[in-house]
Parts: sequence; structure tokens; C-alpha cells
Amino acid sequence: MLTLGTALAFGGAAIAAGFAGVGSALGVAVAGEAAAGVMSEDPDKFGNVLVLQAIPGTQGIYGLLIAFIILLNIGAVGGDLKELTTFQGIAMLLAGFPIGLVGCVSGYTQGVVAACGISLTGKRPEETGKGITFAAMVETYAVLALLISFLMVNGIKL
Amino acid sequence: MKKVNLFAMIEDRDHVLRALQKAGDVMFVPTADDKVLPHASEVADEVAKASDAIKFLEQHATGKASLLAPKLQVPYEKFKQPTDRSKDLTDQVQALSEKIASLRNEAETMRVQVEKLEPWLSLDVPMEELKPTVNTETFAGYIADGSLDKLKKDLEPLTCELTPMGNTAEGQAVVVVAYKDDAEQVKHFLKACDYVDFVFPKRTGTAKEVAADLTSAAQEKDRLAAELEAESVKIASKKDSLCVYYDQLKAEGQRMTSSGQETEKTFHMQGWCRADRTDAVKEEIAHVTDVYDLTFADPGPEDIPPTVVENSKIVTPYQAVTDMYSIVHSGAFDPNPILAPFFCCFFGIMLSDAGYGVVIAIFFLAALKIFKLQGFAKKLFLVIGMGGLSTVFWGAMFGGWFGLTWHPFMFEPMKEPLKMLILCYALGAFHLVSGMCIKIYVEAKRGNAVGAFLDTGSWLILFAGLFIWGMWSPIGKYIAILGAAIIILFGDRENKNIIGRVFGGLYKLYGISGYLSDLLSYSRLFALGLATGVIAMVINTVAELLWKAGPIGIIVAILLLIGGHTFNIIINILGAYVHSSRLQYIEFFGKFFEGSGRAFKPLALETKYTDVTK
Repeated sequence: MLTLGTALAFGGAAIAAGFAGVGSALGVAVAGEAAAGVMSEDPDKFGNVLVLQAIPGTQGIYGLLIAFIILLNIGAVGGDLKELTTFQGIAMLLAGFPIGLVGCVSGYTQGVVAACGISLTGKRPEETGKGITFAAMVETYAVLALLISFLMVNGIKL
Repeated sequence: MKKVNLFAMIEDRDHVLRALQKAGDVMFVPTADDKVLPHASEVADEVAKASDAIKFLEQHATGKASLLAPKLQVPYEKFKQPTDRSKDLTDQVQALSEKIASLRNEAETMRVQVEKLEPWLSLDVPMEELKPTVNTETFAGYIADGSLDKLKKDLEPLTCELTPMGNTAEGQAVVVVAYKDDAEQVKHFLKACDYVDFVFPKRTGTAKEVAADLTSAAQEKDRLAAELEAESVKIASKKDSLCVYYDQLKAEGQRMTSSGQETEKTFHMQGWCRADRTDAVKEEIAHVTDVYDLTFADPGPEDIPPTVVENSKIVTPYQAVTDMYSIVHSGAFDPNPILAPFFCCFFGIMLSDAGYGVVIAIFFLAALKIFKLQGFAKKLFLVIGMGGLSTVFWGAMFGGWFGLTWHPFMFEPMKEPLKMLILCYALGAFHLVSGMCIKIYVEAKRGNAVGAFLDTGSWLILFAGLFIWGMWSPIGKYIAILGAAIIILFGDRENKNIIGRVFGGLYKLYGISGYLSDLLSYSRLFALGLATGVIAMVINTVAELLWKAGPIGIIVAILLLIGGHTFNIIINILGAYVHSSRLQYIEFFGKFFEGSGRAFKPLALETKYTDVTK
């Protein structure tokens, strides 16, 4: 029997992986457009700009991570689905929010910063490292959200 | 760092500079009075030409050259003087590439013309005859799509003959031969249908013949271009000599960047040299000429000497991390020896999988040996390779092996997140306090020990007090209050107004929120470690599900394990490197770092393709 609580927990996993993934997809796309622009001028910079394009991809991974832990904890991976109470389910749902929301926004905005870093690489290739550092600053909040989501999921006793 | 002043004869300049370049000990600084050497722009042009030629040959080389291919070994005696043969080869390659480009261009133009002739192929009149005769006038061009019927109707009462031709994107092609008296009217009707004249190529014969001619001519040009390309594939094997030539020219160009001030017979150059290399420099110059004057002086108060930091073999690679932020200011504290262990440790915790650590250490350290990397790449690979070793250590502590848990020596972060967070914050606090201690040390050395104690030491007292209060006894409370009192009373000691001073001090105390956010920033150590571990677990779990699905599932599972873990390693190396750097740049350097120095870049053989052996 699928209880309401279990269904809500699925919602938590969906929010975590779904929204964070959207953010990363947008971010990687924005950075990728800029990267292609720089490549048209100087194909030798492929390595540098690829690193910058990859950076906004991590939010999606964080979302996936939380979703996976939720699914693991409720037994959706491996077959033995647990029956959660409604409150347990709500808690799981809420636990998906920090990484879902922050991942979505920071994934996209990090892509914007990465795109600027890519333009920077186009003009001054020796400053790539600084471009990467600027992009990493945006990631901080996704990392913090990931941690909180994890602690929340971990704190729900089933 | 010593200031170098060198006087010598102009006729000896080339020899002197060559000797100094080979040794790479002196960094020359151009002055405003320097004049540009007449030969310099020629060399720059030749460098550009050689670079283009190399690029051209790379495009035609059979088999892709590896990015990490080892450099060519060239002995210095051979490297010294560029040969005329390389110059001729460069010219030859340039001529070849220009010829090929122009042939391809011509062929393309012809093919475009053929394409344009497409709708006119059914025209059986040679195109040179499409001009006005005594009694007729001919119109050939395009009208708007769909207006053919209207035109037909319009032209019916007039003395003319309308022949529709092909239909293309540009419109409906038509030929109208009109009796002279009606020509004006025909023109008028045509105009109503958006008529545009078609300009035939200046050739003779029917459209079909011309198109055939052009096509075969284009093919001929293509064939010639392909022949030349085949020739360049043959030349591509001589690319190595061009690479050497490029480096030789580049070295020559670098010798010419600063000419120094000249008199009729002598020149004078200024620069910098490491204090411990002065004798070596003297010897290098004495070796090539007797007529010179060389002096070394200490930097004056107005001079900003370039920075040289010297570290042990293990710490040196970490200079890459610091230099990415900023070059240390000359004479300022060199953070590398303290940064290195923290960076290495943080890198390991962020990856925290012993299996991954083994892979990283082997791959990066082996790549270093095999490809004989130099410069930044060498430093980067060493930093990541050492990070791999640190990852093995932390992975074993946390029991992570390729996403599986096996016998953790400390604890499992996933199971005991609180312990893990405490570990992260403890390391973070240690890192921050190190930074603050450096600040005190630097200030004290400059004779500002009191200021350092009041500004930074007070915070350390406050933190020590809070720590003791929390861990052992309430005495800590009073120690913390003492620290806070120093901050409030002396934080803003420049302020003459006593009330303003206390408020200024209180504002300084508010800076504790900054320390708090610095400390919390270290939770990324846990979060990134978590990311590595859980993604590895995801890969393993999915592979396990596939494994049960039969023989094809097993193959897919193996591919997934290899590909997935490789991807996870790469993306997490990136994350660990970037975030370890960030913890140094923002949290650690923020406490004491003095940057915006100048790098010491001596005149040296900086080669791109070759390795000059002495």
C-alpha cells in the first residue's frame, strides 16, 4: 500500500532532483552559449572554457544526491517501499526544498557568472582561474543548501 | 633582490644577451628612453608567419598530435642560430597555404555562379545574344513568385514573347523579348511584378554550356588544391624544424624587447637579479666579453622589486594556487608553506574516497613522469596528485572505497554528520587562526607588535575564551569578555572622540559575524565529500540493478561503473580544487595576505615546442 506519507516523500525527491536539475540545465546552457562564442575566435581555449561550462552542472548533482538519499531511505531503491506516516512524508517533502530552490536559482546564476568568466577567458586567457573562482562563489549557497537538505533527510526517523 | 646596472659595447650586445638568456638570471626592466630596435618588428612578423605555418601543417598532419606530447629535445649549440632552411620552409608553407586558399576560393565562386545559372539552363539562346537588337529588346530576370499568370495576361496585347524559366528562391525566372515600340510598356508591367534583372556571367555560350564549363573549371581548381594539399601532407613531416624555428625566433624577439639606452658605441640596461645569483651573472657576462661594467645595488625606497618566493620541492607546486590569486608582494610573507598542508588536507576531505584517491594519485603522478610536464601544468598535476594521496588517507578514515563502505578508521560521515561537521569546523578554525597568527607575526616583525595584539590578538583571546567556556569551565567567559573589551576599547583607537571610539569599537566587535560566516564556510568540506560519496553510491546501486538483468545488463553495468566513476572523479577533482582554492583565497588570505606583487620573469629561453638541453 502506498501511503500519503510515502507519496509526499516522492514529492520531496522530485523537488530536489527536478528543480536543481532545471537550474543546472539553464546554467550550463548559458555558459555553453558563451563558450561557443569564444571558441569561434580561438578554438585552442576549449579546455579552459569547458571547465567553466562544467561548473554550473554541480547543482543538478546535488539535487540528484538528495533525491537519491530520500529514495534510499524510503526504500524505493531496492524494492521494499516503506509506509511513511503523513508527517514523515511532509518532513521528507520539506527536506527536498532547500537544495531544490537554491539549486535552481544558484545553478542558473552561476551559469551567468561562468559565462562572464568565459568571456574573460576569451580576452585574457591567463585570468581563467579568477573566472572560475568567481563562479565558485555562487556555488557556496548551493553547498550550504545541500548540507541542510541532507541533515533534514538524515534527521527523519522512519 | 638586487638592482642590476649593465654597461657594455653595442657590438657585444647580442652575445651578452644570449649568455644571460641561456642562464635566465636577470629580468630587464625597460625604461622610457629605450628605443625600439629596427630589427624587432621583422622578427615579430617572422614569428607570426612561423606560427601560421605551424598551424597550417598541424591541420594537414596525418594523425592528431597529442596535446601532452613531449617536447623536442634540441641542444643549445644547435638552437642558437636559426637556419636559412627553416626560413625557406616557412616561406614555402606560407606560399602553399595562400595558393590553396585562393584556389578553393575561386572554385567556390564558380560553383556559386553555376548555382545561380540553375533556373536558366533551359534557355537555348547563347547568353551573349540576349542584348537589344535593332527591333527588339530582351529582358531576363526574376519576377515575384506567383505573378506569372498575371504577367502573361498583361503582356498578351503587346508584341512580345514571354518564356518562363525555372523557379528558385529568388523568384520566377522569365525571359521576355519585346518589340522596341512596346518595350517601355513591357518594362512597366514587369516592374509591377517586382522584376529584378539577372546578370549573366561574362561568358559566351548557352547557360548549359557555361554551367558545364564553370563546373569543370571549378573541379580543376579543386583538383589543383587537393594536389597542393597532398604536397603539404608531405611537408607536414618537417613540422618539427618549423617548431624549433618558431622557438628560436621567439627567443630572439625576447632578447629584443628591451634595447636599453644607447650611446654611439655602448648600451646601458637596468634590471633585477636574485641576490644569490650575482656572482653567476658576473661570470656569464665575463665569459663572452671583457669590456663591460656591471654593478649590483640594493633596491631603493622608490623601487618595487619583483617577487621571488623559494620553497621546498613539496611546497613549490602550491605556488600555482597562490599565483592564481595574486603574486605575493615583494618582501611580504610567503603563505605557501602554510597553505600547502591545508590545501592538500581540504582537497582530500572534499573527495574523501580512498579508491578515487588511488586512481587520481597514480594517474596524475604518472602523467607527470610520462609527459615531462613543465611550468604551470607540472605544478597543477603535482598539486592534484598530492591531493590524491591525501584523498586516500581521508577516504580510509571515512571508510569510502569507490562508493562502498569498508572499515572506517574514524567514522562514517553519512551516519554521523554531526561529528563530521565538528571536524570540518575544527579544521576551519585551525586554518583561520593560522591566518591570524601570520598577521600578528608579520605586523610584529614590522615593529607594530602592539597594534597587532590589539587588532588581531584581541580576537584570538575572545575565541580562546569562548572555546574554553564551551569545552571546560566558566573561566573562559571572563577571558572572552577581556578579549571583547580590548576590541571595544582599542578597536577604533585612532578616533579622538571617546564616545565615538567606543561605538567604533562596538562596530569592530560586530565583525564577529564575519568570522562566523568564515567558519561556516568550511561546511563545504563535508558537503562536497558527501557529493562524491553519494554519487559513487548511486552509480554502484544502478549498476547492481543492471547486473541482475542478465548478460547484457552485466556488460552495461561494467560500462556504467567505468564511465560513471570516471565522470564522478573528474567533476569532483574540479570541485575539490576550486573550493580548496576558495577557502584559501577568501577565508585564509583575507586575514593577512599582501598581494599585487610583480612576478620575477627573467630573460630566459621560454620555449613552446622545444626543450633546449645545455
